[in-house]
Amino acid sequence: MIYLVLFWEYFKVGLFTIGGGYAMLPLVTQIITKRGWMTEQQLIQFIGIAESTPGPFAINLATFVGNTVGSATKLGVFGGILGSLTATVAVILPSIVIIIVVTLLYDKFRTNKYVQGLLKGIKPVVVGLILSSVFTVAANVVLPDLDFKNIAADGANTFNWISLILIIAFIPLSQLRIKGKKLHPICMILVSAVMGILLFGVFNLQS
Amino acid sequence: MKHNSRQTNKISLWTLFWTFFKTGLFTFGGGYAMISLLDEELVSKKKWITSQDMLDMLVIAESTPGVIAVNTATGVGFRLRGVAGAIVATAGVVLPSFVIITALSFFIQAFENNTWYKAAFTGVQACVTVLVINAFVKMFRQLERGWFSALLVAGAFIVALFTDFNVIFLIIIGGVLGIAYSFAADAVAKRKNKALPLKDSERLDDSSDEQRSEHDPENDGGDK
Repeated sequence: MIYLVLFWEYFKVGLFTIGGGYAMLPLVTQIITKRGWMTEQQLIQFIGIAESTPGPFAINLATFVGNTVGSATKLGVFGGILGSLTATVAVILPSIVIIIVVTLLYDKFRTNKYVQGLLKGIKPVVVGLILSSVFTVAANVVLPDLDFKNIAADGANTFNWISLILIIAFIPLSQLRIKGKKLHPICMILVSAVMGILLFGVFNLQS
Repeated sequence: MKHNSRQTNKISLWTLFWTFFKTGLFTFGGGYAMISLLDEELVSKKKWITSQDMLDMLVIAESTPGVIAVNTATGVGFRLRGVAGAIVATAGVVLPSFVIITALSFFIQAFENNTWYKAAFTGVQACVTVLVINAFVKMFRQLERGWFSALLVAGAFIVALFTDFNVIFLIIIGGVLGIAYSFAADAVAKRKNKALPLKDSERLDDSSDEQRSEHDPENDGGDK
């Protein structure tokens, strides 16, 4: 039963990731590739969409993964909706329970030795995991044939140098401050979509 | 939670739902974007909670598992209207995402092979790479400095990138090591305190790197 698997996997995502949307990315990537639900490429594309549509990023991601998995079943559109619902409920369920308990025990929670120790260890691990996501996402965009788990010479077969230039160009753009405010991710995504249409659609580079 | 007494009349579940529905609809990006919006709405305008409550809730939302936006909604809902409030507020914040993304998913599946769509998203992918880099930098800066953190960051990074080792196990191992480290650090600090004739100022110096002792000095006194 695919929906049970979906529920279980997303329940674990909700239960084990501290730090919100991007902290969930390494775990979600591992799940979708292990289960063969979608490609990393699809996930990366959707991150762009999730950032530029309303709602919390992580919920958008869960809904989308659920929909993709559900749509692949015989139930079609209805299956997609059911999949969205399954993944979204699964990812928020641990939160609801944990937050209620922690709110009740807040003072103890904040000063508890075990909790503090736990966080001291989990936070750096999560940061390390996000760093690994940086590499997998970047490799997927620039060197799509490269597999970090099985590094071979033909990993460098395709080299999307224009994407690399875009990444390098976007880094200072993302740090740009206008009247003390950073550029909103949506603006950057829109700019990058227009650049994409121009470079890869109109001028047909890197194909 | 002491501040709850300042609310004279109960907030209806419907109002709670609607407030969080609007928040979900107008938040783009992650939980942090939502928190400034909630602060404006709940603390400044509606005065449902104090800014101290808001801060407490942010600490909880960040240091517990799950989506930060959902954690915040659950926390506020629970404080205002108990378990029913927690569920209603969470449903409210999630619903816009759910509807919009479900509708969009079908659209995406239809357009996935369109040339222009592909071209646009080849550009967007480069941008997403930068967003992930920025998320890493932001979280890295918030990290406590020290060899222990550095070791865990490096270890988790290498294992996650080059092996298929389950990410969940990495997180659990990190938690266990964190507890072990905290207790070891405590034991070392205590031994130092015993070995040296106690001077109050020194004792404070020794334990100043632990957050815990900043919060509850009485606990520290009880230890000896």
